[in-house]
Amino acid sequence: MTVLSLFSLLFLAALSSFASATSDYQESLVLQPLPQSALLASFNFQGNDSQESFDERHFRYFPRALGQILRHANTKELHLRFTTGRWDAESWGPRPWNGTKEGGTGVELWAWIDAVDDEAAFAKWITLTQSLSGLFCASLNFIDSTRTTRPVASFEPAGTHASSGNLHLLHGTLPGEVVCTENLTPFLKLLPCKGKAGVASLLDGHKLFDASWQSMSVDVRPICTQTGDCVVQIDQSVDIVLDIDRSKRPRENPIPRPVPNEQLVCDTSKPYHSDDTCYPLERTSEKGWGLSEIFGRSISGSCPLAEGSADGTVCLRVPHERDVQVPSGVVEVQKSDGYTRCYTLEPSTPFDLTIPEQEATSQVPLDEPVLRAERTIVGHGQERGGMRIIFDNPSDTKAVDFIYFETLPWFLRPYVHTLQATITGHDGQHHQAPASQFIKETFYRPAIDRERGTQLELALSVPAASTVTLTYDFEKAILRYTEYPPDANRGFNVAPAVIKLGSSNGGAASYPIYIRTTSLLLPLPTPDFSMPYNVIILTSTVIALAFGSIFNLLVRRFVTAEEASAMRAQTLKSRLGGRIIALRDRLKGKTTKTE
Amino acid sequence: MATPAALPPLPFNPSRVRSYVLRLPLFTRLVLLAIILFWLFELQTVWSVVQWGSLIPEEIGIGTMYRLNTYPFIHVGFFHAFLNLLAVTPLLERFEAEHGTLTAVALFFGPLSTFPAGLYILFEKFALHRNTAVTGASVWVFLLLGSEAIRTFKSNPYFSLGPYKIPTWTSPLFACGLVSILVPNTSLLGHLCAIFVGYLLGLGYLKVLVPPEWGLRWVEGKLNLLGRLPHYVSVDQKTYGRYGVLPTTNAGGERATPMSYLGSSQRLASIRKLRSNPHFLFVHLPHILSFICIVAGVVWLLLLPLNDYSRQTYISENALLPGQVHAYFSGSEQHIFRGYKKELEAILTSQTPEGQESRSDEYTPVVSDKIQSILRAAGLKVATQKYEYTSSGITHQGQNVYAIIQAPRGDATEAIVLVAAWKTVDDELNLNGVSLALTLAGYFKRWSLWSKDIIFLFPPDSKSGTQAWIDAYHDMQPAFVQPLPLKSGALQGGLVIEYPFDHRFESLHILYDGVNGQLPNLDLFNTAVSIAGGQMGIGSNLQEMWDHDDSYERRLQTILRGMVKQGFGYATGAHSSFMPYHIDAITLQPKGEGWQDEMALGRTIEGLCRSLNNLLEHLHQSFFFYLLMQTNRFVSIGTYLPSAMLIAVNFTIMAIALWLRTGYYAGSKQSIVTPSASADEKKEAYVETTKSDASTAQPAIKPDTNSIRERHLALPLTLVVSLHLLGLIPLYIFNNISHQYYPSATYASIVLNAVLPVVLAASLTHGLTTPREPHQYLLIKSFSLLVLGLFLSTLATLNFSLSFMIGLLCTPLSFVNRIDPQTTSGPVRYVLSVLGLAFLNVLSPPIVLLGACWYFGVDVETVLTQAAFGWDVWGMWTQVVVWCVWWPAWVIGCALLGFSLF
Repeated sequence: MTVLSLFSLLFLAALSSFASATSDYQESLVLQPLPQSALLASFNFQGNDSQESFDERHFRYFPRALGQILRHANTKELHLRFTTGRWDAESWGPRPWNGTKEGGTGVELWAWIDAVDDEAAFAKWITLTQSLSGLFCASLNFIDSTRTTRPVASFEPAGTHASSGNLHLLHGTLPGEVVCTENLTPFLKLLPCKGKAGVASLLDGHKLFDASWQSMSVDVRPICTQTGDCVVQIDQSVDIVLDIDRSKRPRENPIPRPVPNEQLVCDTSKPYHSDDTCYPLERTSEKGWGLSEIFGRSISGSCPLAEGSADGTVCLRVPHERDVQVPSGVVEVQKSDGYTRCYTLEPSTPFDLTIPEQEATSQVPLDEPVLRAERTIVGHGQERGGMRIIFDNPSDTKAVDFIYFETLPWFLRPYVHTLQATITGHDGQHHQAPASQFIKETFYRPAIDRERGTQLELALSVPAASTVTLTYDFEKAILRYTEYPPDANRGFNVAPAVIKLGSSNGGAASYPIYIRTTSLLLPLPTPDFSMPYNVIILTSTVIALAFGSIFNLLVRRFVTAEEASAMRAQTLKSRLGGRIIALRDRLKGKTTKTE
Repeated sequence: MATPAALPPLPFNPSRVRSYVLRLPLFTRLVLLAIILFWLFELQTVWSVVQWGSLIPEEIGIGTMYRLNTYPFIHVGFFHAFLNLLAVTPLLERFEAEHGTLTAVALFFGPLSTFPAGLYILFEKFALHRNTAVTGASVWVFLLLGSEAIRTFKSNPYFSLGPYKIPTWTSPLFACGLVSILVPNTSLLGHLCAIFVGYLLGLGYLKVLVPPEWGLRWVEGKLNLLGRLPHYVSVDQKTYGRYGVLPTTNAGGERATPMSYLGSSQRLASIRKLRSNPHFLFVHLPHILSFICIVAGVVWLLLLPLNDYSRQTYISENALLPGQVHAYFSGSEQHIFRGYKKELEAILTSQTPEGQESRSDEYTPVVSDKIQSILRAAGLKVATQKYEYTSSGITHQGQNVYAIIQAPRGDATEAIVLVAAWKTVDDELNLNGVSLALTLAGYFKRWSLWSKDIIFLFPPDSKSGTQAWIDAYHDMQPAFVQPLPLKSGALQGGLVIEYPFDHRFESLHILYDGVNGQLPNLDLFNTAVSIAGGQMGIGSNLQEMWDHDDSYERRLQTILRGMVKQGFGYATGAHSSFMPYHIDAITLQPKGEGWQDEMALGRTIEGLCRSLNNLLEHLHQSFFFYLLMQTNRFVSIGTYLPSAMLIAVNFTIMAIALWLRTGYYAGSKQSIVTPSASADEKKEAYVETTKSDASTAQPAIKPDTNSIRERHLALPLTLVVSLHLLGLIPLYIFNNISHQYYPSATYASIVLNAVLPVVLAASLTHGLTTPREPHQYLLIKSFSLLVLGLFLSTLATLNFSLSFMIGLLCTPLSFVNRIDPQTTSGPVRYVLSVLGLAFLNVLSPPIVLLGACWYFGVDVETVLTQAAFGWDVWGMWTQVVVWCVWWPAWVIGCALLGFSLF
């Protein structure tokens, strides 16, 4: 057995070294403590397969399950995102990967599909969503025509495509989808080491989904070099922001009970400080943490299939003067930027990393976000509402150009003519400005009831040191009563807007930055479903039964058939006959009485 | 002769009912009377009729044999009595008509009461060993149904239901089963016993108990009962045969016409009489109906506190799960609470100028900064909002501080608000409340289970701060209120914490009234009561009822206090501002001296937040319209609404009657006179009308000759519409002048109100050249009352209490009329109309306001300043109702009296 496994390992190692020329597999983990006792952990897994072997259905690092789906659906490039929570840009700074590897709340999917026309592309798209739905245990099959859009300017293919003539970009979101462990398990199954070894072994559903923010992404794209060698690359990443305090709580006792009195950290300088009065002291030192403390387990060695990168697999971004404890024998590489150090994992040697509590001297500097965006629903009432989008450009010198893209469900009917802009300088002065001053280009595709949603793409420019507020009014449609979901009174989710900064056609940033707003909850006029059923149906039935039977007994007069015919009788003969019968009955009655 | 005409026609005809009721035979009448009397007796609380007379198996002894006879007469409630009356009347009437009064008396006071009772006791006591008291006339209903069923069975043995044949005699059993399923607290056994005896009766086995016919005849003849007693049914007069023989089979062609179908000519005559008396139809009947509506409306309200009409509260939204979680807020959190409190106290002491006796409790920027820094240290996102309101020349300004705990894993779609105002509703320093909210903020931040954001709001006062914040949250703020820099999702609920004293408390006082009488979902209130009472062991109060002993008076008092608050429509606390945005919110106020400390209040709030956190949907399950009479009893809109509706309908009835009267019933000139406000006048008018009736009876008999007359609508319409528009002037004045002028404006309006209707009447009488038709006065009143009735009935569905109060204050307007100069001589007319004007002036809006201020012991200026503040800031529209609905109607009422002066 040992021999066999050794042999297979050797074989695999040989295979990987053999294949490294054309296809390889890499994984990495970057850990960065953020302010307010948060910790960002970015996992990245990248696998390549050559285009030829992909076309021959020969999958090595590319997961077979996904590869078959992509081939079946003629999908050339795929981007799938599972996200929960919101990125707190104010505290945490810019987004990991510049926001390119995250989606809006819920599930977001976009893909370039090779098809002759739009209809064929949509048919393939439906195939794709249905198959992915099964693969990832997500309700992706609910992405129907009302949730599908074809963005014009917001997304660009990340891979190299020979001819983009037949490629169709389709985009769909499910803002209400709850991402949880059932999505993580198939995600991990796509990895060559299946989460058993390598950095993926840290990914535990309990900890991952207790994070303040987490995003899982799957990107598939073809990449061609100048020489014409093409590879199909799958790039999977998991980014999570963990609350260190919360994650350090033991699983058997996760309740944040009030701390015992003696553990309170009090400001003893206060004059009123006593045994039973405590003004809490702000903590100045950085909290200590360790991988096994936070993730509940340590990394069980490197994935044997992964190629060790030169820098090391696990990187930590803390100032170099911070004390970091690692198992002996682990190679540490300190980068020259003064903040990054990386560790190389050894196969089948557990790796753990501990940072003791230490007085904070310096922090890893966080970049200022390029743009802040906030989208809210304003107004109240059942009929009308308004949307307010605030773009804040914190830079004092540079204007920001970006594409704003939003898809609205059909039951939210925007009045685009009410689109208005207000600009506020950082001095607090408001100016009503024509929207055309900021909007350079507009792409608007109105909704069709029950068929497709509204698609709005705006090319905007926000001047330096100012805040632009866009507002527009909308009307809430009244749904048919069968169209309401079971939790109708919760409201309806509106997908987050996508903001794309910088484009490939020049500008300072040659790579795009993506920002997504939070999703919204739209309350629609909702009938009181319980009332008609309970009250009308039940009471009518009861009243009908009770009233009918009792009224019948009280009012109805039963007459004999003879009598009835006697009543109807109009002719002399029948009248006479009736008389006779009546006479007979009377006689009979008398006889019975005498009995 | 049984002709088809003898069969009862099905369509409902009120006059038939009337004639039916008028012809009920003697014994039936006596039984009905007894039932009603016993029910009325039961209303008093000294002597329990039910306890005295009901059939209780254990109580039956030699001395209490009377129970075997009394129990059918006694009922436990109005509905019980009413339904049984309805059911027993036709059956008993039929029995008596068939068998004669004497037989009915003998049977029903004898075997037909005692046999079922005996049978019941036999089963209940000796077979089942239970002791259930039974009472009510339903025993006779089922007994008679049983005997009827047997008779039916003899003539028509089976119902055919498809292939099945169901014997007809089983029908009472079905009815009995149905009743026991549908109606709670019915005795199935008692009914079955009754049906059994009924079967025996129907089958003729009880014939032996019937007194012999010759005996009855003898008694009847000796006492001359037929001559002496009205509605007596003689032994000979009986229409049907004896038991067991179907009446129709032996009666044959010569059967006498049934008693109940006698008098069709009489009925026709009565209708003709009514028709021939249009004065009654058009003049008296509307007054009677209106009066009945008013009385019924008030009585209805008074009935609400009874157990039969109110309901126990219950949690309708299952997701709330109140009190199902352990609240951990205790222990060292109390030390932190004291720390925050001392810190804030230190600031207050430091900002108090030297030498000042009392501490300065002002909400200064230092306090605001401290609150912000504490919240920031706890890791919350903090923002502030400045606002400024000006109302009645007073500027209200301040700065709200608020902080958000972003739900872990949440996406800013939903949020809960916790409010701790620096000053409570009563303008006391809410130091404990603010400290508690700050402690809770730090404590809640550590939990990871929140599915909704939690917003902590610290407004400087309870009146304007929350309003500014909630307006800005929905982007509906006026110009002087800053927009919010930080937002979250849709607000699902709000809790306001008040704790303005230092000692421990005994119970929680829950405030729930919103602006304009809007109420939060009953589920929120119930959850608070249930968590406080069930989990924390803290009692709750409402409407300042500190010693609520659950008696009728206390319940009524609680309802009335709630109605007064609802009717005035002002904000009773910081929570009130949330209601217009369909956000349910309540205020929790600790009250009394007890042993509950601030941590208990904190745990209650923790429990409430956990419950709200559980919500999947916005609170919608339970009632939004209710009247609470106790923390665990309420009346829902379906039950209480008729009260205000009846009062509103009285105006509509009068308006429609007046409209009809002006068009179809001319009467004579004299007969236009209608009863006026004073009783003397009424009497006089009645005398007058009877006289005039006699003289004008001849033309009025032929209704067809009363052709439709043309109505002159221009003047009445213009007057009514312009008066309603005129109401905008006092509305504007009372909301926009400076506060120190309010008392003088009130007195000025009293004087103007006294003069205006008379001036109006004089100018309309003498100023217009075109002669006025007398019916125009009626049309003016008709339109005015029509508007009033329509408005009040609409308002009743939105703000029941306001509609009810205004309706009651307007009731005299239904009965006020111009006193016709042609019928009433000069001096009497002047005296009457001046008296009427004086009476109406007492009920004018400003005088009612003064009276209310005097009664509650508050300053008029304060009230009016508050009202103007409500109009400017809260969006309260009580004034609109007063000035644009009540006041115009009142002016028209006065003007009608004023017309009689000229």
